[in-house]
Amino acid sequence: MWSGNLRNALSSLRQSRWRTTFTMLGIIIGVVSVVTIVSLGDGLKRQVSGQINQLGKNVLTVRPGTIDGKHKSISNLNLYSYLAPSTLSLQDVASIQNLPSIQAAAPIDFVSASATGDDGQFGDVFVAGTSPGLWDILHERAAYGSLFADDSSTDQQNNIAVIGSDIATKLYSALNPVGNSIKINGQSFTIYGVLPASAGSLLSVTGADLNSSVFIPESAAQNLTNNHSNILQIFAQTKPGANLDSSVKAIQQAVSTSHNGVNDFTVLKQNELLAVSDQLVGTVTSFMSGIAAIALVVGGIGIMNILLVSVSERTREIGIRKAIGATNRQILNQFLVEGLVLTVGGSVIGIGLAMLINLLLRLYSSWRPVVSLPIIILTVGISLAAGVLFSIAPALKAARKNPIDALRGE
Amino acid sequence: MALIEIAETSKLYGFGDATTLALDEVTLSVEKGEFVAVMGPSGSGKTTLLNLIGLLDQPTHGDYKLDGRLVSRLSSNQQAKLRRDYIGFVFQSFNLLSRLSVIDNVSLPLAYKGMPPVRRAKRASDILELVGMRDREYFMPHQLSSGQAQRAAIARALINKPRIIIADEPTGNLDSHDSKVVMELFAEIHRQGNTIMLVTHNPELTRYANRVLYMYDGMIVGDERTPIGYMAKHARRIYFKKLRTTDDDIAAGVSALLKDVPGQEITTKGQKRKPQGRKRGLKQKVSRSKR
Repeated sequence: MWSGNLRNALSSLRQSRWRTTFTMLGIIIGVVSVVTIVSLGDGLKRQVSGQINQLGKNVLTVRPGTIDGKHKSISNLNLYSYLAPSTLSLQDVASIQNLPSIQAAAPIDFVSASATGDDGQFGDVFVAGTSPGLWDILHERAAYGSLFADDSSTDQQNNIAVIGSDIATKLYSALNPVGNSIKINGQSFTIYGVLPASAGSLLSVTGADLNSSVFIPESAAQNLTNNHSNILQIFAQTKPGANLDSSVKAIQQAVSTSHNGVNDFTVLKQNELLAVSDQLVGTVTSFMSGIAAIALVVGGIGIMNILLVSVSERTREIGIRKAIGATNRQILNQFLVEGLVLTVGGSVIGIGLAMLINLLLRLYSSWRPVVSLPIIILTVGISLAAGVLFSIAPALKAARKNPIDALRGE
Repeated sequence: MALIEIAETSKLYGFGDATTLALDEVTLSVEKGEFVAVMGPSGSGKTTLLNLIGLLDQPTHGDYKLDGRLVSRLSSNQQAKLRRDYIGFVFQSFNLLSRLSVIDNVSLPLAYKGMPPVRRAKRASDILELVGMRDREYFMPHQLSSGQAQRAAIARALINKPRIIIADEPTGNLDSHDSKVVMELFAEIHRQGNTIMLVTHNPELTRYANRVLYMYDGMIVGDERTPIGYMAKHARRIYFKKLRTTDDDIAAGVSALLKDVPGQEITTKGQKRKPQGRKRGLKQKVSRSKR
């Protein structure tokens, strides 16, 4: 009986191709948006955690702004602190560096979001001043050229830059860019080294990608910005064997002293950082997928509409079927199967499309979406539930038709 | 025990002032193997009676026993199963499902019974052979002539080996040749011992029946046994009388034939119930028999 119902549903859907296509479109859009958004979120989470793991457990992060309360969560992270000028200064970097338990400290001092190459200006770049300690903290080696070392050795040649792999590709495609120049805020910088392509976007919490970053020595950054530093974060690497918690306390104490006891910064351990970023990404993802889920529900309503139309169009057919002995249940099943074919079809096509979109994103953008099986199962589950739920009303309407009236219909 | 037993059964449609009495305390019993032709003007309750017998409709009052079992108060699902197993319908407009091939249409009742596809295809082929439609098995309904479509519909009605075949004006949409083919098919089915109830406006077709019911205003006003092969007596009267219908009769609207019908007193005693539904014109009006 079920196979008969299925064949029946397929043939009736085939009969009104356009209607079927557009009805499915609702479900397809819903599924595509849910799967894509959730996989983007998952990808982002993975990128952030990959980057954080890359840093290693012994790296502490100092950020401007405060996180109150026991639970260091994003809701407690003062958004204002992102907008206001940073409360961290180069002096803080120095005082952290001088702590006995700290091996290295490096600031990320935001300078500019644009740079000019030979081909003209290009945006989507993150120019930051930092100290040579960053390379150790990031475990980075140069792909080409070398990474700038202590300021003392490069004093005579302060205007040098280390660029990310994407920028190198953009500027010089396959050529080795070392020795060429790049202009930042009108000042020319010699490209000193190129970072290898990295999977994780190191600075993703600040919205930047290591691959499209330009690092210049802190002193050069000071020159460029007229000694206004805008330190987004300070990385501090503890010495091997040093206790993390006591290091956190030591940093808090040191920075707090230089801030006259004002607690306008936060020291985060890696796992805390992970929790904060996960939560941020999670919140955004669930918000977006909530919106996408509405699309799914609207798709379900579309199916209900079409089935209702189909039921009234086929009143006579229902009458005939009942006259020759179809029970209410059999009629119900017939229309339920039709609704299910629409939703299942829509879901399958939607998932296929979402996969395609993911592939294109991976190929042509810096996003790294991750499609996980649970998400697919969940989405299909939701769309099936919506399909059944919204098919029930029309199917019941069909099943309850009085055979006499139905036969007279049309 | 009679196959169909209907006792003082009425059917009302509508509410309040708009109430229509479609069947007025009809009592009828039909034995197994009878070929009953039901005649009467439009709105006389023929179709309502057949719908009740076919369990497509429930009576407002009265009891209906099918094969000794009281069925008039069963749930709609139980009635659906009885329709499937006991009753075969043949409609005036064939009512084949346009999206299914002939063989799928014919085997549909078996599908609802849960028979596996191969077996039901086999049965359907056999039945189609019987009605001479074997070579049209995989045609779609729109590819068939009217006569072929009706034969396919009859095959569908027969496939469950029903106790009763209910045919509501099965020749209404057919030309005389196809009508003859279809009626011969019914005759053959009847010869095999089936019970057939046939609604018709055509007095000629009473030749195939061995019992003719005349209905008027929701009542059975005549019940005549007739030998097969002969047109029923009253039907013949109508048949020949209608040739003498004058223009005045047509102008009068309501059948002039009814003017001198015995039983007129019913309509004059203030109980007159106008025939419901559209008027079909004099040609199809049927006079009442004497009671």
